[in-house]
Formats: sequence, C-alpha cells, structure tokens
Amino acid sequence: MTTVLPSIEKLDALVRQVVGVDALYPAGSIVTAVLAATLGAVAHRAPIAPLVHIAHQADGLRVTAKIGIGAAESSADVSGRVHDAIAEHLRHSGNPTVVQIAVIVASVRPSD
Amino acid sequence: MTELTPTNRRFLAFDLNDTEREQAGLHGHTIEQLSDYLDRGRVPADPSIDDSPECEIALRGLERLRRAQQTLLDKDLKRESLRDDSWVASILDNITLEAHAGREIPLSHPSPTARLVVTEGAVRGVLREVGDRMQNLFVGRCVLVGDVSVPGTPISIMVDVTVFPGQNIPLLAEQLRHAMYVALHKYTELVVAAIDITVSDLQALPDSSAQEKEH
Amino acid sequence: MPSTLREQVASPLAGATDQMLSDRAADGDLRAFEVLVRRYGPLMRIYATRVLGSNDETDDVVQESFITAWQQLGTLDDGSAVKSWLMRIVSRKSIDRLRARRLHVNIEDTDAPAPESHAPHALAEAESQTEALARVLATLPEDQRRCWTLRELAEYSYGDIADELNLPLSTVRGLLARARKTLLREMEEWR
Repeated sequence: MTTVLPSIEKLDALVRQVVGVDALYPAGSIVTAVLAATLGAVAHRAPIAPLVHIAHQADGLRVTAKIGIGAAESSADVSGRVHDAIAEHLRHSGNPTVVQIAVIVASVRPSD
Repeated sequence: MTELTPTNRRFLAFDLNDTEREQAGLHGHTIEQLSDYLDRGRVPADPSIDDSPECEIALRGLERLRRAQQTLLDKDLKRESLRDDSWVASILDNITLEAHAGREIPLSHPSPTARLVVTEGAVRGVLREVGDRMQNLFVGRCVLVGDVSVPGTPISIMVDVTVFPGQNIPLLAEQLRHAMYVALHKYTELVVAAIDITVSDLQALPDSSAQEKEH
Repeated sequence: MPSTLREQVASPLAGATDQMLSDRAADGDLRAFEVLVRRYGPLMRIYATRVLGSNDETDDVVQESFITAWQQLGTLDDGSAVKSWLMRIVSRKSIDRLRARRLHVNIEDTDAPAPESHAPHALAEAESQTEALARVLATLPEDQRRCWTLRELAEYSYGDIADELNLPLSTVRGLLARARKTLLREMEEWR
C-alpha cells in the first residue's frame, strides 16, 4: 500500500521545473494511470494521481519519474538533473531511506 | 437514366427464394453469375449472357446498383471529411507511448541509487527525426539489434529508408548515417558498431509547399 | 488512396505510402499514425455506421478500433495491407457492439430501439437512387448487410468474409446473392 508523504506531492511540479524536461508521463502501472485518468475524466478534471510514482517498501523508497525531454540537451544530462533534484528534495523532506530513484526518458521532442 | 427496364413484372425473374425461377428469367443464369461476369469486365465474352435481353436488363440494373453504391460512398466520405477535427484529437489523446516504449537503455550516473534509462521507443523517435530533418528521404522502420540493456555491449542499427527519385543514394545514406551517429551519441550511451541503411523504396516527391505541422 | 476533400495542414508524411506510415507507427510514431487516422478514419466511420444501422455508437467504435490498431501495429507483417487490416478491426468492433446490443435487449426484455434509418421517412417521389440505396441497405437483415458492407466497403474477398464471420463460404455466397437481389429489386421499384 502506498502512502504519500505531504512533501512528496510536490515532486510532479519539481520534476517539471527541471531544465530540459519537456513532458511528464504517469510512471505508475498502466492500470493506475488508466484508473486515474478515468476518474479524472468522470470528475471533468485532470488526473488525480501524481505522475511521479512512489513506492514505499520495507527497505525504503522507490521513486520513478517518466519524462520527455527537449532536443537541446542529452538524455543523460537531463535525467541526471531530474534524479539529483528528486534526491535533494527527499533529503530535505525527512531524509527517508532511498532504495532507487529511476528516471525514464520516454520521448525526445524534436526542436522546432 | 435509361428506361430500358420495362416494369416490375420483369423482376419476378429475380425471385428471392427460387433459384429455378431466377434462372428461368435470366436465360439459365443467376444474378450472382451475372455479377461475377460484371466483376470480370464482361470478359471473356459469354454470348449466352450478351445475347440475352433479360440478362442485359439485369446487368444494367447491377451496374446502376454499383454506381449508386459508389455515389453513396463518395457522398458519405465527403460528409465525413467536412466534420471538425475533434474526432482525430480524441483518438490521439487516448493512445499512449506505452505500447511502443520497447526496451530500456541504461544511462550512467554516479549515484548507486540512480537508475536512469532512455527507452528504445524514444531512441527510434530520435532516429526518425534525424531523417525527417534531411531533405529527400523518409526514415521507416528502425531496429536496434543486440542487447541494449547491458552498458558497453556493441549493437547495430537497421534502418529502412525511402529516397525520392533523382538523389545520390550513397551520398544521402552516408549523410544520414553520420547524423544518426551524432544523435545516438547525444541521447544514448550505446556502443554502435554499425548502422545498416536499406533503401527500400522510391516514391514521388510530395508537394514542395508542404509544411511540417507540429501536432 | 482515399478521397480527402478537406484541406488539411500538410505534413510531408501525408504523401507517404501505407507501408511507410505503418512501419513508423509500429515504431511509435504518432504523426505517422495520425496520417493513417485521417486517411482511413472516414471510411471506417461509414463502415461502422452501415453495420450498426445508426451512428450513435460510431465514434466509440472507431476510437476503440484505432486504439487497438495502435497497440497491435507491431503484429502487422505487411504494412501495405494496413487498410484491410484496419477494416477488419472496425468490423470486429462493430460486430461486438451488435452482440452487446442484443444481449442488452435480452436482459431488458424489450424490443430493440429501431435504428434511426428505420424511422418513418417522407418518401418523396424525386428521391435519388442513392438515398434509396442507403435506406434499403439499412433495412437489410443484419447478416446480409454485414456481408455486403464487408464486400463493398472493405473490399473483402468471399473467402475473407467467410473467415471473418466464421461462416461457410457457401453461406456467404448465399447471403451476398440475396442482398444483391434485394437491393436490385428495391432500387428498381424506386426508379
């Protein structure tokens, strides 16, 4: 069961602000994402589940962010910055044990 | 419209339930045979059909049906094409990149807790984009051959390309290959041993006034 | 190539072959997929409307068909056959809808609502053959209409229709012959 620490809700906004990030996709299971989208559609508003996925496990936190990047910078640079921003944020929010911070680059947007 | 079909009486020949009566009214043929004959462009000529007034009437009716069918389809297509574009948007909004994400290709990071990857789907998108930025060719299917999930493993890339007529194919292929190496180096840490480009097709140059549209 | 009458914002891909578009879409290219949606969506809508007898559910059926197509494009071996492949998907989805509708009717134990096209229509003397055909098509028995539509709109062979509807070839021949005769006879009466 996933419980969400208050400050962790801010992760979506945090990731979106990282330079080079062009899009943020739901990183949880497809079922979760579809469910959230459906509920959002029923309520006529944006999906309610956070896009950055956080799993609390016995050994600590696993965070997954799925992003799209702009064409200007390399995947390694942008995803590295996203990783660092999340790690930094977690350190300032009670410093939980982190098992993994995964960043998936799922698209590269062509430059215009 | 020609008025050669006399009356409804004629159409007793097309008895819906009795093949014998159908054949009796059509010089021994059935409507289905006549329809097939029409499909074949009335060749090879069959005098037992061509010389029968009853068959001629039926063939005329079949042709009229066919024309009406085509007109109806054209009308429907015209009506459909006048609809606003929201249906396209709603289809595209409901599909996700998930289905074509493919394998995960690792990117390095000093932290032991970091797991950074770029998806195979994103890499294929980059390769297509490289091609789209060049003139006179389309990049089709792109396949990453080898174990992309293990850092340092040499892999190769197979790319299908359509080149427009009149181009210097070896030169274009070399330019494309070079641009793909550059892009792969920027967006991945793959060790690319080879990029095999297959020029698979030729086609006419599209309208030169065509502009790229960002969706 | 389909008829596209509306002026669209041109994309270089708009002139690409079905093969190229299918290959790219199978690799995850949304822009290529969008061109396919525009190229064959209208025909698929017409097809679904014909099979379903009304257009209330057409949007849903076509949307579901394209979502399925997007997910399964990788299984299409010959990209140049994408048109008939799409028609097959929309055909199955339409038939699923018909089944669901029948099931629903059974549960409700009421008559199915008459399709729109069955609604009383002023039959003007000057009605065109095309309109006559549209109405007669809509009144054909379901199995005949399905065969006819697969044949005329989706350009299926008799064998493909038999496979698709899981019917013996002889039955398909019979249904098509009957549909053709009915259409001929009815159209003759409206001349």
